[in-house]
Amino acid sequence: MTLEDVGRAVQIALVYFTILYLTGLGGLFSERSGIVNIGLEGLMIIGTVTGSYGTHLFTIDLGWGVPWGPIAGLVLGLVAGLLFSSVHAAATVTFRVDHIVSGVVINLVAIGLARFLSQIFFGQATQSDPGQPHLVPFDVPLLADLPGGLGRAFQSMSPVVPVAALLVVPATFALYRTRWGLRLRSAGENPEATRSLGVRVSPLRYQGVLLSGALAGLSGAFLSVEVVYNWREGQTLGLGFIALASLILSNWNPVRLMGAAFLFGFAQAIPLRLSDAPLIRELPPQFIRMTPYVVTIVVLAGFVGRVRPPAAAGSAYEGGAG
Amino acid sequence: MSGPRGTKLVARREPAPWVESLVGQLLALLASLLIALVAGALIVIAYGESPLVVYGAILRFSFGSRTGVGYVLAIATPLIFSALAVALCFKGGMFNIGVEGQYLVAMVTATWAALELDVLPGGLHVAVVLAFAMLGGMAWAAVPAILKVRTGAHEVVTTIMMNGIAISLLSWALNGPLRFTNAPEGQNVDLRSDPFPPTALVGDLGKLFGVSRGAHLSWLLLLGIALAVAVWFLIRRMRLGYEARAVGQAPGSARAGGISIGAVQIKLFLISGALAGLTGMQQILADRGYLPQNYVSQLGFTGIAVAFLGQNHPIGIVFAAILWAILARGESALQLETDVPREFVIILQGILIMTVVIVYQVTHRRLRRRELGRAAIGEQDAAEPAPVGAVG
Repeated sequence: MTLEDVGRAVQIALVYFTILYLTGLGGLFSERSGIVNIGLEGLMIIGTVTGSYGTHLFTIDLGWGVPWGPIAGLVLGLVAGLLFSSVHAAATVTFRVDHIVSGVVINLVAIGLARFLSQIFFGQATQSDPGQPHLVPFDVPLLADLPGGLGRAFQSMSPVVPVAALLVVPATFALYRTRWGLRLRSAGENPEATRSLGVRVSPLRYQGVLLSGALAGLSGAFLSVEVVYNWREGQTLGLGFIALASLILSNWNPVRLMGAAFLFGFAQAIPLRLSDAPLIRELPPQFIRMTPYVVTIVVLAGFVGRVRPPAAAGSAYEGGAG
Repeated sequence: MSGPRGTKLVARREPAPWVESLVGQLLALLASLLIALVAGALIVIAYGESPLVVYGAILRFSFGSRTGVGYVLAIATPLIFSALAVALCFKGGMFNIGVEGQYLVAMVTATWAALELDVLPGGLHVAVVLAFAMLGGMAWAAVPAILKVRTGAHEVVTTIMMNGIAISLLSWALNGPLRFTNAPEGQNVDLRSDPFPPTALVGDLGKLFGVSRGAHLSWLLLLGIALAVAVWFLIRRMRLGYEARAVGQAPGSARAGGISIGAVQIKLFLISGALAGLTGMQQILADRGYLPQNYVSQLGFTGIAVAFLGQNHPIGIVFAAILWAILARGESALQLETDVPREFVIILQGILIMTVVIVYQVTHRRLRRRELGRAAIGEQDAAEPAPVGAVG
């Protein structure tokens, strides 16, 4: 193991971080509004297939040196995720279906819907042709020149990575410094009190769920457009569930979510780049992939630290016109 | 004071609540089926095909021949186990999303028993293999169950995490301890386990009914139906079932009534895990005869859909699994006989389950409101002297 290996591992970890952070942040908005969303994986799946299709849609170069295909792909993934999450929103908010049931259905339907869409988009059910266009990767100034190969971590990075990381600023501001954020959080903590102050709960919860769909869809599109360069069935590999795990570890806080997403992202990178490190060498790679799940169980069980989900998350709000 | 509405209600012969509930649920199911079929028909028309042709092809593939029926029942078999596992926990107010992980682990333990305990005689060996599957599922279910009772960690999240761990565990087992070793020299074989000895396999059931062997219809179907009846008996006729329903519907009253909620939850979760463990057996003991790399996945999640389709009723689940299997079997029909892509079926299943969930929810509220309304009237009747008309 060399420092360069560490650099490469961090490089991969940053890619995983982006996926986990975008999806986890989506889940955060949804759960903070009071709607549990275990359908994140399914929303990501829809993002992957539509994102890949978007790059095929706009192959013509409109100029200014900007590759429009990948941007169209990312936007399409975001929109598709948003639209698909409206099913979850309608089911849980309007029809008051159990959040877990609806989330499971979302995940189940997404797999089939992705195959169906793929058949329409690409004429084959399980993948698109490889070698899609993607955004021009860049080297982060200064950081890319770090000595000893560590700079590797910040070379040829997708522009989406810093965008995802910087989302922490507007997300934190919106959640803690705006009236909307206060209302969203109160809808997730105590919807009855929210309603009694004349604030309608349902629109807030719709917004929370739709935001989760948009962000998870974008995350999926990032995976197929910017990481793999094509769509393949099953490429999300349960990352939606790891994003859920990050969300729990972060205690539903956007800043702490960055740390959790990077930590779990790094766990994914270890078997790929640091398999010959001491200690790691002795472990089968599958055991390292388990770590996010094990950590989450340990944290949830309260063996280490304490996490507290939004109080009303998971329960239907029964108020009349709410 | 019971008004005209109350009088009328009491005077008319009321159907028993369970009849009303059953009729309500059946109507809800029919309505959802209708909505899904109409939505599906619109998609089919968009493809320029006739819905009648498409639906006809699906039905003919399932019921056109004995072998067709055999295929449907073979597809339904694993779904019965996973849906029963989900439903049992649900009766106790818990959500076992971990069926997925439980049966993956069970495939590992069962494979080990099938390969290592081959000294056992025929009938006994397969029974032991099935027992190991149940133990594997149980062990995997024990973790979230104990954590829930001891630490309050929500079972939904812990079972999701246990699923993630199970996937890695199975992959490790296939790459390591269970890896196919007896490959002929120089032959490149897939990642899979050694083939099981014949004593570990479940016998073919199809030949008794003239179903071709290719359907892989096995005795596991009868085991599934028997277990459905057993689960019904457990829920309706046994003490644990009564306690489970009490805990599921009114935990506060259950505790006040002296029921140990934690003990009930752990027992339910363990039985649920044992049922879940049998889910993968159709594939490895009846269909393949070894643990393949492309082992079936998602059966646990599909089981949740089937459980809801069957309204968490054990017998309803058997029929729901068959309905789901008819649609699944229809995929081949579409591919062979129409221009509609086979993935259409998955969309149809998705629309069906989503409508079912929503329609059931709405119906449930309706029924509940009527029940509450009747209870209110009953209270009034008890408080006031009954009106003459009502008694007569």
